[in-house]
This record gives sequence, structure tokens and C-alpha cells, in this order.
Amino acid sequence: MSTYIENLVNAKLRNMKDMKNIYEVGYVSKVKDYILEVVGLEQVGFYERVVIANHSVGYVTSIGKNSVMVALLQRIDAIYVGDEVVTTGYDFCAMYSKAALGHIVDIFGEDRLVGEKFENLRPCMIETPAIPIMERGEVSRPFYTGIAGIDLIYPIGYGQRQLIIGDKKTGKTQIAIDTIVNQKDRNVICIYVAVNKTKKNIRELYDNLMKKGAMEYTLILAAFNDDEPPVSFFTPYAGLSIAEMYMREGQDVLVVIDDLKSHADIHREISLLAGKIPGRDAYPPDIFYTHSRLLEKGCQHKDGGSITILPIVETRGGDITDYISTNIISITDGQLVLSRKNFEKGLKPAINYGLSVSRLGGAVQEANMKKIGAVVRRKFLSYLETKEVYQLANIDEMSPEMQANIEEGERLQERLLQYKFSPRTPDEIKEDFMEVVGDFV
Amino acid sequence: MSETAVGKIISVSELNIQVLINDEKIKYRDILYTNSKGRRIEFEVVEEDGNVISAIPFQNVVGLKKGLDVYKAEHGLEIQYNDEILGKVFDSYGKLLDDSQIEEVHKRNVYNRNLTLEEINLNGGILWTGIKVLDFFAPMQKGFKMGLLGGAGVGKTVLIKELIHNVYTGLNSNSVFVGVGERSREGKELYDEMLSANLLDKMSVVFGQMGENSATRSKAIFSGLTLAEYLRDEKNQDVLLFVDNIYRYVQAMSEINAELSRIPIENGYPANIETAISDVEERINSTPNGSITSFQAIYIPADDVTDQAVLTIQAHLDGQIVLDRKVAEKGLYPAVDVFSTTSKLIDIDKIGERHYRLVEEVLRYYSRYRELEEIIAVLGIDELSVADTNVFYRTRKLRNYFTQPMFVAENYTGIKGELVHIDDILDDVENIISGAYDGIDESNFLYIGKFNAEEYISR
Repeated sequence: MSTYIENLVNAKLRNMKDMKNIYEVGYVSKVKDYILEVVGLEQVGFYERVVIANHSVGYVTSIGKNSVMVALLQRIDAIYVGDEVVTTGYDFCAMYSKAALGHIVDIFGEDRLVGEKFENLRPCMIETPAIPIMERGEVSRPFYTGIAGIDLIYPIGYGQRQLIIGDKKTGKTQIAIDTIVNQKDRNVICIYVAVNKTKKNIRELYDNLMKKGAMEYTLILAAFNDDEPPVSFFTPYAGLSIAEMYMREGQDVLVVIDDLKSHADIHREISLLAGKIPGRDAYPPDIFYTHSRLLEKGCQHKDGGSITILPIVETRGGDITDYISTNIISITDGQLVLSRKNFEKGLKPAINYGLSVSRLGGAVQEANMKKIGAVVRRKFLSYLETKEVYQLANIDEMSPEMQANIEEGERLQERLLQYKFSPRTPDEIKEDFMEVVGDFV
Repeated sequence: MSETAVGKIISVSELNIQVLINDEKIKYRDILYTNSKGRRIEFEVVEEDGNVISAIPFQNVVGLKKGLDVYKAEHGLEIQYNDEILGKVFDSYGKLLDDSQIEEVHKRNVYNRNLTLEEINLNGGILWTGIKVLDFFAPMQKGFKMGLLGGAGVGKTVLIKELIHNVYTGLNSNSVFVGVGERSREGKELYDEMLSANLLDKMSVVFGQMGENSATRSKAIFSGLTLAEYLRDEKNQDVLLFVDNIYRYVQAMSEINAELSRIPIENGYPANIETAISDVEERINSTPNGSITSFQAIYIPADDVTDQAVLTIQAHLDGQIVLDRKVAEKGLYPAVDVFSTTSKLIDIDKIGERHYRLVEEVLRYYSRYRELEEIIAVLGIDELSVADTNVFYRTRKLRNYFTQPMFVAENYTGIKGELVHIDDILDDVENIISGAYDGIDESNFLYIGKFNAEEYISR
């Protein structure tokens, strides 16, 4: 061991004599999966980008008294204890080029289909400060998804964060895709952030969007599930950074994050590997802040420009009250809950209208849509509840008032059905529902 | 400002900076700062170990290096105050957010105030909120601490806003709103709404919202309290304090605790959770000079009502309003769980016999209804006895009656808000229970103010 340290000291001295210490050099002393311990770096900054053994890239996650911890971002070749680690003087950041719009890219600015980097890449800070309260404007412009159950009952506005939550195979991603497709000719830049997705998933998504002509205005920012976990962890932040850049130019941006449950799991994995103290369900105690600072980037800027975010969360057994789900629900401006039961009954989109919420509600609807929406929502919820309580009762013996309510509810249910890639315009939606509830509006 | 360095940074992580100090005297909660790449980064001392101190940074520490010189700020965390604080918006560290200036300020350390037992004043009149379900099940008194508990997305913030609307605008008394770890969008909306309704002139606002780091989120409440105390102690005012959301303070403390590598208790909470909460709650009290009446939203993580943080905060409350996802799911807002919603005023000597008996009776109906629901799910509604059928239908009317159109929720319901007087509430409840309204369909009780019986008699 003492020769080991002696070697380090000697190497350092040699470097100093050779005037090579413009960039500081340290040595890997421990390799724990993708977390490295590095000794000998005295002048490195927190979050600084470092190069390991001339091939791989990492960044500094903490600076200790005698060593620094480095998380690996790109592992090109094997890393050995004793490999050289060189500082770069730059904070680690993502790279992005505007030419990447319409392509599948990673946070290093590489076109993932072609395998080449774009030209004119510019740095994009991963951790940018929160958008100040006083720079925020009112969220009030309706953002149309083309889905009646959303636009009418649980509406979204430019700058809103609306969670899409549900079990596997309930159509979460489909709702996001439908929304992206519906932005055609609406001058919205869409960023689909894929976290921990399979290559097959992403290829499929790309082909689908291509077919619908939606790739022209869409960027797929993807971390594959065989990328280093820190890359997956940073991808959503990079996505929001890119969105913020567009927003500050006055653009409306839609960001879909698919999905945050995987993101939370990756964060847990990295934190536990780094020896951090776990909290509830073994997630690190800062899991709330991990997602809150990310989703707080969604806003309507007072100078125009907005970031609308549709994060996706996968649940198990339809339980939306688990730790991660409630954490994210408590951050977003509402949630669209998808139910497996409805999906199986063929009631698509499989929205659970009882559990879904839009915290902005009518504030992001145009006056008539708002009036119709409020009536439909009240009547439909009351129908669902009545149906549950009276499911064993004989409908013919009910009061005429109640019979009428049930029939009306069934008609509403019918009109809420909608299949994928069949968007409805706001006027169509209003017309459809006026026929049912017109007398009450 | 002392320009001699007191020490050097020896380690950096996201929320913990360690400094090796010279022989300078440094104490808990002193503020240190350093300059990194032209940025001033401040941190507050939380731990001392010989000549190594740990401190939590207030700003983002990207780019911070080992070996940087550290200086000591003249004072600990302070907030400026004078008469002009009303109508102003501060961040957690007492800086104004709207670029305005306060002239001739006084400054006060945000941690200093402790009340003696002698100073505590318990008296106060009843404070009606005009919200049926609150006034009926959990009436409020001046000087009370009322908690609004609920999981994510069941309506805590809407209710807090409605209370600001009804109580603050009704009383027109001085107020402090503290936003802790909640949405910036909501913060901005509150500010805009108050501004456009010309209501901001009696309210000070402090924001440490969820996009900020945990140090910032944990300090907002102290700055807000200091402002409220100034209004109470020096201006002899009755102050309304709205906190949205006090749970986020504990959450931020957990994050700091973990970064300091202190061993946590269950679910990652800091072991000193009791003290941390008492530090805040014990300052929210009334003195003979003035009162602080507070409404505190409390987030329930993972819908777990036995959560340690929630239980610890609950121990300090005089009353609580509990919001329930199952009620919200049925579209009944405010989504109150009537069984656990209560206050210290629900006492026969305090609210009078009539109100007290009615609360008891209504709860009896609700609990029978809960049992009946299970029976009906198996046997159907036709199998119930006459008495049970009455309980069933009357409770459904009560449930509907206790919904209310709220002023701040007009965007969801499309109905204008209403205030209801407590006498009307008691009359209506009595009539529903006695069967006077048995002939009226339950849907007529949904989202109304007081029930207008004449409308139906004429039919």
C-alpha cells in the first residue's frame, strides 16, 4: 500500500516537473460498478467533467477529504484501478444542436440511428436554477390533446404538468403519442424523453411518429436501458434544459417523460450504490426534490413561451397511492389515471374519471368548453357513483329522475369512447356533448 | 464585513460542505460564505467536530472546489421587517422577490423567539369560515392551529385558498402566507389573484417552493414566522398564518439529515423530528398582545395516515380537517372524511348542546351508512328495514349537502361560491335528519349553499 501511495506522489511530482499540471491528474483507486473513487484530484470542481484512461467520461459527484467520487457516463473500454483520471475544467453538461429536431438523440448530442454526433453542438446545463416565481405567467391557454375525456373533462393548458398514471398496458404512452400527433400545425416543439426504454420501444415509437408526420417537430431524447444509469438519470433534466432553451426563445414546448417510476428506481440504484442513507421504500430521502425540481421547469413564461410536461408513471395493481406515485401527484397540476378494468372492458381511453384530477380545470378552457365540461363532469361522476351503489337494484323500479340520470350517463360514456390516432377538434367535442347535456348548459 | 478567511473547504457534496477552520469561534447556525467562479455561495453551520465544521449550502454548489477560502458573515439568518412588509413577497432568506425595496428596515434573527408559558394566551372567539363541513364538524377559534391533512391531489391547496378567501377577506386582518415546498405556479397564482383583488395590502408572503433546494425549503417557515411574530408582538395584531405545506419542512429536514449521514428513523425521517417540528409549532401561539391563528396544510405521503411526520405534526394541532381520496373519487368536494375531522371546540360547553348533539347524530348516521353500503353490495337496497332505508337515503342527502361550491373552485364546478351561516347549517341538518326533506331527491342537495326549502314546497 505504501508503495502505491508513493507511486502516486512520485507520479504527481513528475508531472509537475514536466509542467503537465495544466489539467490535474488523479488515479482510480476503487471501481464499484459505475461509481469510481479517485485519489489525487485536489483542484477538481463539484460536477466537473473528467476523462478516465483517455477513453471514458464521468463527472464528479462528491469531493471528500482524501478522494473524490466520480460517476461514469460513458464507458468505452474496461477501467482498471490505477487508471489516470484527467480533469477538464468544464462542468458536466449535455450537448444539443438544433439540427437534432426530428431525430433520436442522446444527451451527448449523438444521433442514435446513425451513430454520429451533430454539428454545431452547444452545451446545455443539466442543473439550471428554478424559473423564478415572478417570471411565471398564468397558465390559461388551452392545450388540445384531441381526446374528449381530457380536453373536455380534465383539460390541460400550456405550461401545465399533467401526470399520466396507470398499470402496464393501459395506454399511457398512447395518450402521449396521440397528444404529440395532435400538435401538428400548432407550432409546438415536442420532446419525448425516454428513460430506461428498450431499443425496440424507441424504434417503434419513431416509426409511429414518422408515419403520422409528427417527427418534423419532435425530438426523441433517449437513454437506452443498457446505457450507464447516470445517463438515464440525467436524460430528463437534459430534456427540460433543451425545452427551457426553446421556451426562452418564445416557443411552446411539450415534454413527455416516459417514465418517472423507472427514473426514481435508477436514482435509488445510484444512491444506494454510492452508500447514501435510504428512506421510505429504500428510495433516497431527496426523491421528492429529484422530481420536483425537474417538473417545476414546466411553466408558462410571462414573456410568452411555455413548457407543458406530461410525465408518465407506471403503477402496480392499479395502486396510485404508493410512495413514488403520490410524490409525483403532489408535484404535478393534475393526474390522468388509467384503469386496467376500463381497458379490459374496451372503454378506451381507459380513463378512471373518479380518480383523475386537473388542478387548473376550467381556467384552461375556452368559455363554452368549460360550461359543457363542468356539467358533463358532474353528471358523469354522479352516474358512476350511482351505478356502483345501485348495481343490484332493479332499474325499472327506480324513480323516473334516477332512471333518466342513468340513461344519460350511459350516453355520455358512449361519447367518451375514442380510439387511438382519431383526434377530435374542440368543435366536434362540444357538438357531441351538447347533444346530451345541452339543456343544462 | 470581515475579509479574513476563517477556513478552507475540504469536502463538497450536494448538500453538505465541510470546512476546516482556523482557531476562529464558529457556532451552530452561523452563516459562512465563499466565492466560486464569481458566485457567492452561502452555507449555514449545522455540525462542529473539532476544527471541522459541516454546513448546508443555500445555493447550488456546482463548480465548488476544495481549498477555497471561507468567510464568516456578520449575522446568522435574518429577515428585514417594518411596516412595509405587508404587501411584499420574500424568499426564504428574506430577500424581496419583486425587486422592490424596503426603507429603514429593522432586522431580526429568524430563530430567536421562544415563548414562555406565562405569555401563552388561550382565549379567543369562534371564527366561522362559512364552509359548511368545516363549521359543522371542526369549528375554528381565534388562536387555534387547524391542520388540513390529505394525500396528494385531494384538495388541500384549494381549501387553503378558500379559507384565505373567506377568513382573510372576511376579517380583513393582517396575514402571513408561507409557501413551503409547494408549486411555484400556485404561488404565482395566489400572488396575482391577491394583487388583482387589491387584497395584498394586508398580507406578507414568503416562498420557498419545490424547485428550490432543501436548505431553502426548510428556512421559509422560519422567515414567515418571524414576520408573523413581528405583527403580533410589535404591532399588537391578530394575525392569520397560512402555511402550505408544513410537511415539506420535515421532508426538507430529512434530505439534509441524510446528506449529513446521520442515522434516520423509519422512512428516512431525522431522529430529531420531534424537536424540529416543535421548533416551529411552539412559536405559533397567541399572547395577550395579539394572536396567531393558523391554517396549516399537511401532506400525507403515500396516503399513510400513520406516517411519523404527520402524527408528530398532528400532536400540535387544535383541530384537523382530513381529506379523503375515497370521497374525492365520488366527486364530493371538499372531500372531507367526517370521522377524523374535528376540533377542540366540539365540546358541549363550547358550541352549545344543539350543535354538539347534531354532530353526534350525523356521525351515527354516517357510520351506519358505511355498514349499510356493505350490506347493499351483497343483498341490494330492497332488503333494508324501514329505519335503515331512512338512514341510507338521509345520509346520502347529508353527504351531498356537505359539498359546497367554493369561490376559488369556480373553475372546476362552474358554480359561484357561497358562504353559509352556522344557524342555517344546523337548521338544514336537523331537517334532513328528522325526515322533513325525505320527499326531495338527493341530487338537489349537491353543490348548494343553504338549502332553500320553499322552492320545493311550492311544487
